Amino acid sequence: MDQPSEQDVQLLSELSAALQGYDAAPESVTDAAKAAFAWRTIDAELAALSYDSFLDDKELAGVRSGGEGARMLTFESADLTVEIEVEQGRVLGQLVPAQAGEVQVRHSGGSVTVQADERGRFSCDGVPRGPFSLRCVTSTATPIVTDWIVL
Amino acid sequence: MWGAADRVAHVPPGPLRVRCPVALNPSTMWRMSEMTVTELVHAAAAGDSGAWNALVTRFSGLVWSVARQHRLSDADAGDVCQATWLRLVENLGALREPEAIGGWLATTVRRESLRVIKHSGRQIPTDIESQIDVCDDTATTDPDRYLIAAERQAAMRTAFASLGEACRTLLTLLNSDPPVSYAEISATLDMPVGSIGPTRARCLDRLRKSPALAGITA
Repeated sequence: MDQPSEQDVQLLSELSAALQGYDAAPESVTDAAKAAFAWRTIDAELAALSYDSFLDDKELAGVRSGGEGARMLTFESADLTVEIEVEQGRVLGQLVPAQAGEVQVRHSGGSVTVQADERGRFSCDGVPRGPFSLRCVTSTATPIVTDWIVL
Repeated sequence: MWGAADRVAHVPPGPLRVRCPVALNPSTMWRMSEMTVTELVHAAAAGDSGAWNALVTRFSGLVWSVARQHRLSDADAGDVCQATWLRLVENLGALREPEAIGGWLATTVRRESLRVIKHSGRQIPTDIESQIDVCDDTATTDPDRYLIAAERQAAMRTAFASLGEACRTLLTLLNSDPPVSYAEISATLDMPVGSIGPTRARCLDRLRKSPALAGITA
């Protein structure tokens, strides 16, 4: 029984690492990532996440473990800020400065458009867990899209 | 040729199931691989979905691996990865350093993963670093080196998949952990023990000379 050459030993161990060590993304995840391009918006400003109660340690201290309970989020852009409260699929929102507008709620299952009243308030039910973003259009500010987050 | 088909059941699960890369036709793939990451980002920002797909193909493994390093479930990891890619879609035109997109992706998926961990109410140690698999943090600390290694490994898997079934079966058995004796291999593949060495050398030579590995430094 001949011993493998050094190069063969090296190649075999590289092969072993390649076959076992690498956690390649599932096809479904890669396919979904490619499809994400369809969500691209043009001419909308990005409203960055400026507050997330889930990362607020003072909040966390009082919340029972398991993470249930309302989550408060704030997204800010130059002209428009959106404050929302999310609990069990229900989104309650407020446009700041207060004004009427149209809010497109975007999530993994698609999107739904709701109206914000003249006080800037809007709501939406049945929002699934997972990636989430809003697109807000008002008559005064440039349209904004909020940074995608995971609900 | 070796009559091994009905005995492959003995082979340990896993490595044999290597999928050959598909999707893009070869000429498209070559054009995309010649474009630098910066060019791909600019093209995607201008609306080129082919460039976007090339970016996803190149970095999907990196993004997934970072999410999984946080010990997220498959569903949570999927959500975190998707949110990361969606964020990139909106930020394509605003990236300050397109060539460093690997780092941007790694940072974004890491932040979102930590958010998910907090949301789940899992115990958060003061030092979140200890949550992460210390053995391989390369994906986040050195995304470029991680990518080069990952591309090399992908080329190795492609080369392996292009070998005939006989070679793949033999090499898989030789890779077994715990090791399989030559007597067992001989019985499984119905080949004399004395043939195993020379056949192994032939198979490895084929692997080494595979076009998939051409240009990949050993």
